[in-house]
Amino acid sequence: MFNVKVSFFSRTKSLENKIDLFHDKIIDAAMTFKKAMRIFLEEKRSDEYRKQSKQIKQIEHDADALRRDIENKLYIQNLIPDLRADVLHLVENLDKIINKFDEVTYKFYIERPDIPKEYHLRLTELCEQVADCAENMAIASRAFFRDFSTVRDYSQKVYFMEHESDLSSGRLQEAIYDSDIPLANKIQLGGLITEVADIADIAEDCVDELLIFTIKRDI
Amino acid sequence: MDLSYFIFLSSGLFLGWSLGANDAANVFGTAVGTKMVKFRTAAFIASLFIVIGAVFAGAGASRTLGQLGHINALPGAFMVALAAALSVYWMVKAAIPVSTSQAIVGAIVGWNIYSGKPTDLDIFFKITSTWVICPILSGLIATIIYFIIKWLLKYSRLHLIRQDSYTRIGLIIAGAFGAYALGANNIANVMGVFVDSSPFKGINYHGFSLNAAQILFLIGGLAISSGVYTYSRRVINTVGNGLMHMSPIVAWIVVVSQSLVLFIFASQGLQNFLLSHGLPALPLVPVSSSQAVIGAVVGIGIAKGGHGISWGTLGRIAIGWITTPAIAALVCFVSLFFLANVFNQIVFVP
Repeated sequence: MFNVKVSFFSRTKSLENKIDLFHDKIIDAAMTFKKAMRIFLEEKRSDEYRKQSKQIKQIEHDADALRRDIENKLYIQNLIPDLRADVLHLVENLDKIINKFDEVTYKFYIERPDIPKEYHLRLTELCEQVADCAENMAIASRAFFRDFSTVRDYSQKVYFMEHESDLSSGRLQEAIYDSDIPLANKIQLGGLITEVADIADIAEDCVDELLIFTIKRDI
Repeated sequence: MDLSYFIFLSSGLFLGWSLGANDAANVFGTAVGTKMVKFRTAAFIASLFIVIGAVFAGAGASRTLGQLGHINALPGAFMVALAAALSVYWMVKAAIPVSTSQAIVGAIVGWNIYSGKPTDLDIFFKITSTWVICPILSGLIATIIYFIIKWLLKYSRLHLIRQDSYTRIGLIIAGAFGAYALGANNIANVMGVFVDSSPFKGINYHGFSLNAAQILFLIGGLAISSGVYTYSRRVINTVGNGLMHMSPIVAWIVVVSQSLVLFIFASQGLQNFLLSHGLPALPLVPVSSSQAVIGAVVGIGIAKGGHGISWGTLGRIAIGWITTPAIAALVCFVSLFFLANVFNQIVFVP
């Protein structure tokens, strides 16, 4: 009747672990993405890049499974009724970041763009910025569950990195369109850079909502 | 035992039912309103602990109410309880959380006026002063607990899911304590006027004994429980959602605060403990759990900056505080007149 059973806290613990694991997946995806892009710039579509791309796909797949599990458990066990909708929304949005990492990595794999050497450094910088942005988003979200007074600190980092990535992507696009490479390449590279920068934009949207959820989380 | 006794007792049972319908919301309204505890679970726990509190700790507050008006005729007691019950019932129908304590006090004063007996002003002011002390005390307790919990949550870094589990268990325990305190404090409102004319004899079964008043309180407790089960859901929705948006933790603070206040005003053990240590003790008086809840909610609302309080709902409730005793006194006075003159019942012994 009271739902207070010996297994009650172990079930709770299991869900806490799943939420932690889900956040780990975002960080894994961000780190793997950085590594994959470095490999792509050095080796283009090599076996090693293929391996990294597959790894991100696997992370995305695992994250999806975790997301579904978390959502089901929240509903079935009727947990956090007042914040459940917010948490579900947050988890869905975080999943979009992982999906985007997977999508971008796969696009580079499929399209195999020719990237002139002089842009490698800037593209690496952009990839690191969006990956950092996603990592900080994951940390901010984790803080929402455990230590919500620090959410604002990490959110600020997300905003900062998103702004930096906007500047980097703008400068890179400008340089590409000012160059002498064929227009088809310019359009292809421009599109891919926009896709990379979109990762930070999704993280920023997530953090906007997270800050509202944090206000509601306060007693 | 005379069957007519139960006919006269029926108004007390009706009052008990009204109290259950109305005041269970004060114990579990916030927990059910925030969907942390299911209504069925809340109703079961509330019913059980109300009966336990009424039977084993209901005597103190009942004695004080008896001093306000010595209702010396059973038909008179019937009408006092009925007038209070009707007042509460009409307020419940309007989904306004009302005070049964104020209704019964109003009705007793109505009986005193009709019978021409003086109202003991010392007792009257003792009771009415608690109408002011009760919400203020509850608000103070709630504010203190609110800041302690806020500090604890900040430094414990409890996971949201774990915090939810603790809150849920906390709400059930606090609700059980609240129901116990409600039964102990408010059974006086339901059965207090019938104690003097109780025909029951004490029972003793293998060392477990109940005196005549306790049997009466048991019956009253069961009447309250029936009110909890059959009609409390509507008022629960008003208390749970109407006054201020509440997080489950705030809901817990509200229940603990009002339970402590009800317990303080009902516990003979606590009173004896304080007196034996030379400390000042509060009188054992039936207080309004509705007022205690409102005091706690407003206390927390002010602690949070006073932005989330629905002052309109608060105003409607405050109007109920004034109108309930006034309606009860008027209804009691008019009804006693009819009972005495139309039905030829002796409503008081001069």
